[in-house]
Amino acid sequence: MSDVQEATKQLLDVNLHENWRAIQVTESDPRSESEHLQVTIGATVPTGFEQTAADEVREKLGSSCKISKDRGKIYFDISVESLAQVHCLRSVDNLFVVVKEFKDYQFKETKEEVLKDFEELAGKLPWSDPLKVWKINTSFKKKKTKRKKINQNSGREKIDNGQGDKTDEKEDKKGFTNNTLDSHILDYYENPAIKEEISTLVGDDLASSKDEKDEKEETHPKVLKFRVTCNRAGEKHCFSSNEAARDFGGAVQDYFKWKADMTNFDVEVLLNIHDNEIVVGIALTEESLHRRNITHFGPTTLRSTLAYGMLRLCAPQPADIIVDPMCGTGAIPIEGATEWSNCYHIAGDNNPLAVNRAANNISSLLTKSQIKEGKVSWSLPIDAVQWDICNLPLRTGSVDIIVTDMPFGKRMGSKKRNWNLYPACLREMSRVCKPGTGRAALLTQDKKCFTKALSGLGHVWRKAHTVWVNIGGLHAAVYLLKRTPQAFVHPSEQDGERTPW
Amino acid sequence: MKLLTHNLLSSHVRGVGSRGFPLRLQATEVRINPVEFNPDFVARMIPKVEWAALLEAADTVPKGPIEGYEHDEKFLRQMHHVLLEVDVLEGTLQCPESGRLFPISRGIPNMLLSDEETET
Repeated sequence: MSDVQEATKQLLDVNLHENWRAIQVTESDPRSESEHLQVTIGATVPTGFEQTAADEVREKLGSSCKISKDRGKIYFDISVESLAQVHCLRSVDNLFVVVKEFKDYQFKETKEEVLKDFEELAGKLPWSDPLKVWKINTSFKKKKTKRKKINQNSGREKIDNGQGDKTDEKEDKKGFTNNTLDSHILDYYENPAIKEEISTLVGDDLASSKDEKDEKEETHPKVLKFRVTCNRAGEKHCFSSNEAARDFGGAVQDYFKWKADMTNFDVEVLLNIHDNEIVVGIALTEESLHRRNITHFGPTTLRSTLAYGMLRLCAPQPADIIVDPMCGTGAIPIEGATEWSNCYHIAGDNNPLAVNRAANNISSLLTKSQIKEGKVSWSLPIDAVQWDICNLPLRTGSVDIIVTDMPFGKRMGSKKRNWNLYPACLREMSRVCKPGTGRAALLTQDKKCFTKALSGLGHVWRKAHTVWVNIGGLHAAVYLLKRTPQAFVHPSEQDGERTPW
Repeated sequence: MKLLTHNLLSSHVRGVGSRGFPLRLQATEVRINPVEFNPDFVARMIPKVEWAALLEAADTVPKGPIEGYEHDEKFLRQMHHVLLEVDVLEGTLQCPESGRLFPISRGIPNMLLSDEETET
């Protein structure tokens, strides 16, 4: 059971109406039936996996999704009671509650007019329900007994000792920010070339005021701190995201009398502009969920949300044997063992550093389970092996699913190596994969090389589906392959015939 | 290394082919890790298991799946324990055909071969 699930159990026992006074809104909030509140939630997901995420939402929440033209975003309606389950979704990176959506916003001609409109907009939006949701969401985090620690420095592990989660959270947030600045580990983000993401502070002061003791929040109304993050994409805008965030934020500050703070904020207001579509939202997640499983990073660690999407594409069945033969830090098998614990997962790599990291990540996972369960430490159905992808020490036809992130040739390996590696990989994978029912989800940026390698193996692999994804600015693809019913024949048994590449 | 993994592993020394299975297991350090029992998982896994290999690797295994095993909780729990809860931390795996030894260290088998040993 995850932290959030534990918190939910506790929260649902608690009165939802606590502490409305902390929020200063112009309308007074009656202690009404907020339990039956219906809200629209927006979620950011890895581009290309919007449909997979929508499937997960339907499966776990029963809601249907609207997939936005703004890539990597989906929207769905839920009742507030389901909020905790929303946090359990494995395919989403970040969550926010929608304040208002403009499907076809009419921008005025000049920058001055557009920005003036944004200023006026702030006071006209229906903030109160979304803020209620935000409030409930915040109280989840407070009720967590153990703060979820997904940090790059395992030394930063802290257990809450009852001094108030808020203090821990703050330090964590700072820790997280410091880590992302200090670490040279690249993360997989969207290509910023056409989208700007700049958060702007409104007002004078940047310094986070640590004087405000948040423990007092329970008894005294506290001035909330906020920031505005604006994402803008589109060619016809006459303003920058910076300017929009600044002016919109200024108006928000005037309206609520909140204090602006770029780093230590309570409320993050999102202003997402994609051509003529504008969505105003309030963030529900502070750190992206996608790093959740990995405590030991490698140079090319895959987002858990992407790993989840790839696994889901393969539709794992109970007792399926799922292998990642180039596992790196083990992101994929770990996500697999967590979400599909009724399958058996094997993480393999030729690099001893990688295998060790994967094994460490698996142990960290076991420790997390241990803390949560509060009893015996449960092991998971996952194992690690050091092996060579071109000579897998696995029985022929013994694997049901193969999911892996193939070397791109830019950050790991090289394009020339891929030319030799890809055919050998695909061949060996076809050998170990079960004929007829086996399948593989393979992520690669070297689409040309992959396609060529695949073309010589049509008798064993059939391309079922392709998902186009964006990995750190690189246009990559996830190929879903199905293993044909044809049994694998070893070349030496082919009477001198060579399998053509 | 769990015994279910051992059941899938095969030697890939050049020329050995299917005679590389099963690998002979010598365990010098073993740990028992409890894993949550999932009877459906175990029942579906039974047909995938190479029984002879399992018998070689573990002593406390029945000779074969018994009639109606899918509903026999005692049998399933026994298999669950053998396949998932026994973890070999240190030891070796030996190719039955070539005799080549593969070490298991900190629970991870190292199956890498030198260039001369691998098939082209």
